[in-house]
Amino acid sequence: MSTPIVRKTVAKQDSIGIAGAGLLGRLLAWKLLIRGHNVSLFDAGHIEHSITTPSAAAGFTAAGMVAPLSEAVVSERAIYDIGLRSLELWPQWIAELEHKPSSESDFFFQRGSLAVSHPQDTAELQQFDTDLNHILGGSSGYQRLNGQQIQQLEPALSDSFQQGLYLEPEAHINNQQLLNRLLVDIQALGGKLYPNTPVQPSAKILQAKAQSHRFDLCIDCRGFGAKYSASREQPLRGVRGEALSVHTKEIQLQRPVRLMHPRYQLYIVPKPDNIFVLGATSIESEDMSPISLQSNLELSSALFTLNPAFAEARIVDMAVNLRPAFMDNMPRVEVEDGLIKANGLYRHGYLLAPVVVENILNTIEQNVDPFQSILQSQPTAETEHA
Amino acid sequence: MTNDPLRLYGETFNSRFLLGTALYNSPQLMRDAITASGTDMVTLGLRRQNPEDKNGDAIWQYIKDSNTHLLPNTAGCKSVKEAVNTAEMSRELFETDWIKLEVIGDDYNLQPDPFKTLEATAELIKRGFKVLPYCTDDLILCQRLLDAGCQVLMPWGAPIGTGQGLLNRYALKTLRERLPNTPLIVDAGIGAPSQACEAMEMGFDAVLLNTAVARAQDPALMAGAFASAIDAGRKAYLSGLMLKRQTAAPSTPTIGQPFWHQN
Repeated sequence: MSTPIVRKTVAKQDSIGIAGAGLLGRLLAWKLLIRGHNVSLFDAGHIEHSITTPSAAAGFTAAGMVAPLSEAVVSERAIYDIGLRSLELWPQWIAELEHKPSSESDFFFQRGSLAVSHPQDTAELQQFDTDLNHILGGSSGYQRLNGQQIQQLEPALSDSFQQGLYLEPEAHINNQQLLNRLLVDIQALGGKLYPNTPVQPSAKILQAKAQSHRFDLCIDCRGFGAKYSASREQPLRGVRGEALSVHTKEIQLQRPVRLMHPRYQLYIVPKPDNIFVLGATSIESEDMSPISLQSNLELSSALFTLNPAFAEARIVDMAVNLRPAFMDNMPRVEVEDGLIKANGLYRHGYLLAPVVVENILNTIEQNVDPFQSILQSQPTAETEHA
Repeated sequence: MTNDPLRLYGETFNSRFLLGTALYNSPQLMRDAITASGTDMVTLGLRRQNPEDKNGDAIWQYIKDSNTHLLPNTAGCKSVKEAVNTAEMSRELFETDWIKLEVIGDDYNLQPDPFKTLEATAELIKRGFKVLPYCTDDLILCQRLLDAGCQVLMPWGAPIGTGQGLLNRYALKTLRERLPNTPLIVDAGIGAPSQACEAMEMGFDAVLLNTAVARAQDPALMAGAFASAIDAGRKAYLSGLMLKRQTAAPSTPTIGQPFWHQN
């Protein structure tokens, strides 16, 4: 079912240094190791994620949705096209993991997602529907639901929801488990890890504080950490996101649910072990201070209105992180001699990462890439690099 | 319309379209809309961005680079103290004593609190601010705000983000007639260019909006549409709208009818 894999026996063994061990860095390191390259993975913070030493990567904070329809509404059509490709790649790639979970469906769930609004906010849902229709050029790909149909899909939702949209192609990922599993595979394939080692990427060199590391190729996969390497013409900024994780055994959800509201769009994503991740605020600020009371109130009350039983859920985590974004909120892959920079995945990490990785692999292997014009659209940045 | 500038607090503006900078899908789309609107003044909020630590600097710098006047607002403030503090912080951050005052009285529809708005206005004027208060269309409130020292008022068309247009034409018309020398800017509730045009035809001095442009599928195109509508409405007002009549009056006399049968 999956594409043939070039195993470790591949002849060309380039050494590749990757800056940033978030989702993109891990996925890329893993793919390059499978292809027989020597890969070193650097991160400014912890790489192995635990409660005492959490990874700073936004991929851990994320809710892990692959939601091309809903995300296209708040970005642009390209996000939809890229997302469809990601939906093909994710199950194939998860099947390629050496240390597979007992069933691959432990990681990737393509069960669609649900968008609902309370009766007084129906206009928000209608606007979402109109925007979706505009972007997709029609309403195939999603369905309008009545209250009864919503109840059939998600019996745990409050029966006050009388209108909704079912976005059937959408999926969600158990992202923390996947990130941890990727690391196991990276180590098993011989990848070298350099945690707590901030580096400055340049052509064939990753410059750490005390030492420079030389490679045949360097790849910058940093998130917000790339801010200070970005050019003045293409500044990279952080967009604050706050999310809650709650635990309750009283409620079961099969798929992400989006709640439309006049001032914010919030979503709740079911995770293993009766955990639900509720996200996320979006504030144009590079503030990493703890979650505000207002955000907490907004998130909590949204959750409460989905089902009052959430009132007794326990808050197990309140996460804050910065989404790395260029000013058009679109990702960029810049190719220079000895250096590839892939940054600015914004709020679309799990939607974009497989396609960005595929683009980088195609660049290295000089294959045609279907998303070349979107991902590498910018004028060459060689002059700025000097 | 350079020969018909907008004058606010002694300063001159070349556009009668004020644009908000929130809710765009990306900063790039925001800036494209600013350019297409031809606006001379944009509003921006800082309440939730932890302004004390300048954490919103990336986006603020980007807005500053659009080379328009900045009108910081106190969006999200619910008390006089919050609004005054936010105004002080924005004066320091953006080096301007102009402030669009918003004191929200209702959390759900973001309706302004007239009493706290008046109180905050008095305090801010005492502190040397040039206050542009977002207020309801109540004549007495508007008079009190002028008494407190405001030189510009920003009555609503409808609640923020509703796109309902001019909900109370009678009240707005009264404001225009009773406060003929005060610059009046219709702020909030405008959803369509035709509504903005109508406000300008009624003699309002400018229009401020955000959602209708930011949430459009093509914000820059919509910004251009609003710019044209505001320009059309202003020209119509200046040139003198004809009054509505009960009977039809053909503009060309009908040939072949005796003149005593013509209107």
